[in-house]
Amino acid sequence: MHEFLAQLANGVELGAIYALIALGYTLVYGILELINFAHGDVYTFGSFVALGIFVGLRAAGVLHGAGLILGIAAALIAAIIASALLNAGIERLAYRRLRKAPRLAPLITAIGVSFMLENLIELWQGSAPVPFPNVIPNPQLHIGALEVGVQQIVVVALAIVTMVTLHFFVQRSKLGKAMRAVAQDRDAASLVGINVDRTIAITFLIAGALAGVAGFVGGVSFGSAWFLNGFGAGLRAFTAAVLGGIGNIAGAMLGGFLIGMLESFSTWLIGGQWSNVAVFSVLILVLVFRPSGLLGETLPEKV
Amino acid sequence: MIYTYAFVAIAACVAIERFHNRRAKATIVLILAAFLAIAPRFYGNDAVFSVLADAAVYVMLALGLNIVVGFAGLLDLGYAAFFAIGAYTYGMLASPQFGLHLPFWVLLFLAAALAALFGALLGAPTLRLHGDYLAIVTLGFGEIVPQIFQNLTKYTGGPNGIAALDVPTFFGHSFGASVMPYYYIALVGIAAALWISRNLRESRLGRAWMAIREDELAAKHAGIDVLRSKLAAFAIGASFSGIGGVLFAAKLALVSPDLFGFQVSVLIVSMLVLGGMGNIVGVVVGSLLLTIVNSALLPQINSLVDATFHTTVDLSNLHFLIYGAILVGIMLFRPEGLLPNRERRAELHHAGEAAGDA
Amino acid sequence: MKVLELAGVGKRFGALTALSNVTLDVEEGAIFGIIGPNGAGKSTLFNLLTAIYRWDEGSISIGGLSIAGLSTQRIARLGVSRTFQNLRLFGNASALANVMVGEHVLLEANVLDSLLNTGRERRERTEAEKRARELLRFVGVSGVEEQFARNLSYGTQRRLEIARALAARPRLLLLDEPAAGLNSSEKHELVSLIRAIRDGGTTVLLIEHDMGLVMNLCERIAVLDYGEKIAEGEPREIREHPRVIEAYLGAPA
Ligand SMILES: Nc1ncnc2c1ncn2[C@@H]1O[C@H](COP(=O)(O)OP(=O)(O)O)[C@@H](O)[C@H]1O
Ligand SMILES: [Mg+2]
Repeated sequence: MHEFLAQLANGVELGAIYALIALGYTLVYGILELINFAHGDVYTFGSFVALGIFVGLRAAGVLHGAGLILGIAAALIAAIIASALLNAGIERLAYRRLRKAPRLAPLITAIGVSFMLENLIELWQGSAPVPFPNVIPNPQLHIGALEVGVQQIVVVALAIVTMVTLHFFVQRSKLGKAMRAVAQDRDAASLVGINVDRTIAITFLIAGALAGVAGFVGGVSFGSAWFLNGFGAGLRAFTAAVLGGIGNIAGAMLGGFLIGMLESFSTWLIGGQWSNVAVFSVLILVLVFRPSGLLGETLPEKV
Repeated sequence: MIYTYAFVAIAACVAIERFHNRRAKATIVLILAAFLAIAPRFYGNDAVFSVLADAAVYVMLALGLNIVVGFAGLLDLGYAAFFAIGAYTYGMLASPQFGLHLPFWVLLFLAAALAALFGALLGAPTLRLHGDYLAIVTLGFGEIVPQIFQNLTKYTGGPNGIAALDVPTFFGHSFGASVMPYYYIALVGIAAALWISRNLRESRLGRAWMAIREDELAAKHAGIDVLRSKLAAFAIGASFSGIGGVLFAAKLALVSPDLFGFQVSVLIVSMLVLGGMGNIVGVVVGSLLLTIVNSALLPQINSLVDATFHTTVDLSNLHFLIYGAILVGIMLFRPEGLLPNRERRAELHHAGEAAGDA
Repeated sequence: MKVLELAGVGKRFGALTALSNVTLDVEEGAIFGIIGPNGAGKSTLFNLLTAIYRWDEGSISIGGLSIAGLSTQRIARLGVSRTFQNLRLFGNASALANVMVGEHVLLEANVLDSLLNTGRERRERTEAEKRARELLRFVGVSGVEEQFARNLSYGTQRRLEIARALAARPRLLLLDEPAAGLNSSEKHELVSLIRAIRDGGTTVLLIEHDMGLVMNLCERIAVLDYGEKIAEGEPREIREHPRVIEAYLGAPA
């Protein structure tokens, strides 16, 4: 029971991170029908930026008391900005030219961008995992049989707040409405005066910002960053997005938490070496049997 | 030295693409074949032919993937799985692992058959998927297969793999430590792969693949059995990879799960993209270029830089950057690949009278 | 002998009724027209005939055989070929290759033949190519055999698509707005082409907006409006039918 609760908490924490990354896949897929394969690496980049800020601030000796709070905020914001800009830059340089290209071209390009990013991050940070400075205190709380760290709670809370904000932003704000219009029909959106290029660019900015939050959260919660983290985390998050129904924001959150649970429990019950197989099996099963996901809907192709 | 061979081969390929005349093409092919067969007696050493043999294996893989991606238009991101299946077929059946020591030549065909079978099995669930989704499902299989080889330690040696694989023999003569037999077998393999690729491209099945690639719905309306045609593409494409896997494992005398990851699948996709998807000769050029860069050029630049500047730079760390840059650069600036398709029209023009050009 | 029989056919897309209670018989050897305003359900009817969609009510038979549950590919093998309202050619393939794909159902080479380039494969290919060239000539587009379909002019693409459909030697040919976007001399040629196709023994079912062309060409016409068949008859009857005038001809075309 004790172990079960611990795994549950673990799954929720993992799930929050996957959900944040999954939102980026879903937003971009919703608007461009592109699997932004490099998205996972944007997440990795966010982790390293946060890590760099922490290392720098610790060296400057300011990470205590109010300085710690400010430091955490600085690392988070830096990760958000850096990832957002990187993601938007990728869109501008690599994807924009390919909007009218045959469908496989953007995906192949995205894989290329992913490989380049991974290699560049490796050149920058080396090929071994880099430990996150252990600066954020993590007192343990006991709630009945459940034992969780304050960090875990903060991580999950931060993720949920981000997701809820995003949800209202997309549903209510003018920009969010523009995003939905472009996602539905790019030509029609442009006819009613929506700046399609700008809307897509902003979507990538937001997706990147979410990856930045995830990068920060993931770095703190896993305690390290590694140049290849984005590959595995990205595929899990993509699986989450597909499981929930790609293009669907609530679906991405649901999928994220489910995949987090799956990973946590499969690691516990059948061993970590099988968790990849478990996650990819889910990916395959969903795509094959219910490509619209849990919350998505399908429409017949028009001829 | 290695560059001499690579240069001759690539130059010949470019010439074949440039000439429209069937006889000229056939002549070039014959001269190239003769050169590649005879020149090693006079020129080169084991190190060179080792790289060339590896290059030849990659050419076979690329030609196999070209059937799936280039002909049928199914972006397979898990092609390395079939390479792994071929390699493990040899690793498990020609080694002390189970005390089975089946002959290399038998395994060559067994692996082709097994890879084809798995190609069809793993292809089957993807048949109704399109574009990106198909790509991601194949990627999933590509990750699962080596992971399973890694986890089934009892049968596969786990993460360490299987070592001390049998040295093949040819009518009782052991290959010994020489790489030349692999080089020649791979050459024959390429010749066969080229012949089959060309046959397929011009065939009823090849036209069905073209139709599916261009417009699956219109293909169905033409009475094409889309599902069977796709399965055929997966199976035939995978079989090339199975043979390549056996050659690779036998030459290395080792198999281990980390040799067949996603990066291998992407490497082969990069070869296709570089040369031009669907273009048989282009694919050969793309795979030759990339293998030479990987196994000859980068290490040499490495030692040159180190010797000149007295440093230890590791350029082998740049593989991902190179594959990535190829994928991005080609897709953005030259989606038809290095060897332009300009000649394709003329080539089609001669399709009627020429059944024999590559 | 009836090539095509529809009885009480209905098709809905969610809340939208695209076709309702459509009953229709097409005689072998006819040129049968289907007209109606945009969105009347004409293309949807074709999509039911080729199993792109499943119908919700009624029955459809081709040559006396129910096509319920048959796949697109099986229906093609029954001798039904079609063109599309928005062209669907194989753009990155030569015109010749497009037509040769159309011949797919007539050929017998199997996977092994294709792999090994056997005698059967080669013989069939030679014949198929010869027939394809003849067909291109028949539809009036010789000289472009080796060009990529996507590089051809619009009118040529339209005819190429007809050639591809004819290549299967269909019993029933479905043409979805073949004259759309053609100029008047091209339309004239299209009329004679469709007559020639029928004279070759193929029944033609034609969706078309150009009333002059339909009246001139078709022996029988059915009119759809909001998914319902509001009239059927000879061109003269259709022209004078009050509901048709109200629904269709009333608004200046
Ligand atoms: N796949 C589909 N999904 C939803 N609605 C469709 C679909 N295909 C056609 N429709 C609708 O069915 C109606 C009839 O369309 P169609 O058959 O294309 O008309 P037309 O007579 O102009 O060819 C239209 O309202 C169209 O929007
Ligand atoms: Mg229509």
